[in-house]
Amino acid sequence: MNGIYLSRLPLSAKVFCTLFLLGIGCGALAAVTQAATAVGLSPRDVQASLALEMPMMPLGHGQMSAEKEITLGQVSSGAKVWIRTPLLIQTSHTHLFGQTLIAGLLGLIFLFSSLREGTKALIVALPFVGTLIDIGGMWLTRFVSPSLALLVTAGGSLFALGYVLIAARSMWELWITREAHA
Amino acid sequence: MTRTMTGRLSAAAAVIALSAGVALAHITPPVVLVSDRDVLIALLAGAQRFFVREIRLSGPERASIKQRMGFAPDEDFYRFYLGRDAGGRLVAATIFVTEFTLHGPVRVAVALGPDGRVRGATVVELTEETYPWVRPLLDQGFTRDYVGRDSRARFGLSDRITKAHLDSMPRFYGEIIASLIQRATLLFEVGVLKRGDVS
Repeated sequence: MNGIYLSRLPLSAKVFCTLFLLGIGCGALAAVTQAATAVGLSPRDVQASLALEMPMMPLGHGQMSAEKEITLGQVSSGAKVWIRTPLLIQTSHTHLFGQTLIAGLLGLIFLFSSLREGTKALIVALPFVGTLIDIGGMWLTRFVSPSLALLVTAGGSLFALGYVLIAARSMWELWITREAHA
Repeated sequence: MTRTMTGRLSAAAAVIALSAGVALAHITPPVVLVSDRDVLIALLAGAQRFFVREIRLSGPERASIKQRMGFAPDEDFYRFYLGRDAGGRLVAATIFVTEFTLHGPVRVAVALGPDGRVRGATVVELTEETYPWVRPLLDQGFTRDYVGRDSRARFGLSDRITKAHLDSMPRFYGEIIASLIQRATLLFEVGVLKRGDVS
């Protein structure tokens, strides 16, 4: 970009970019682990944590109560987090700010890649789009259809794919290529 | 790359990273202390059969609860887990109640006897930030202080807790948990006992 490429950065800038990319990678691994243990990674797990709690028995119009026998085996034995609307609001605003800022910093580094503009534009967009699909999917799962939990997994995967492509290409240009520009 | 350009990029990166830190420093991750099933096994001890009862509150019932406690019950429905003996008599009922605080949710399971009195209460979920504040209370088994109380009782912190010289945050969360226990007693009284349709 404007004649400045990752391969031509001074050593201090290369060290900065490398350590930032590594740090974000470690953070992403920790985030995936946290999500896996607290909620789960499959669409079914996401659905169980995010979908509105529905009555176990249909309460018809004007019906004030209903009762049925269960076994305790039907009650969740997993220490899973159930994300209610207030927590969803909190999660949304922190993750939208946080992930977008991370995507912004990743993109800032990647703007100096020597890839063609079209390819670069596509890759730099992945973490941003992934974030929107991820958080948007949470709201759609809760208020439109539980089946849309798939979007949360897809959005998270898109963010991860964007990170991997940006990090791998940037590292390659930072430390391996000597002169590469479109 | 000029020094000016390096400086500008570094400054932009620092501002963005600082902003990210500020944005992320809000709600800490949830801490689930016990599963729903395990807490029901403990709180409904003595029961041989288990039932789910889901209730909707009528307008007057909601108003009654709000008038008595200041808490507005706005859930679409409330779920009680009922434990009965072999003869079908109610042993205890358990409800999960949650308060969303500035630091995240606090979820408590409360068991009530057929007379509407508290049989036990267990903190089920809080957050990483609130856990160290609530831990001293849990270590002292402070929810036992409310066993035997019904919706008309006082639900402040007990003398032994107030004399324990706790910091302000443990006291604050102790009061929140106590009010959740009282909320459960009121929901059970108004939504189940007063309707007279539970044995």
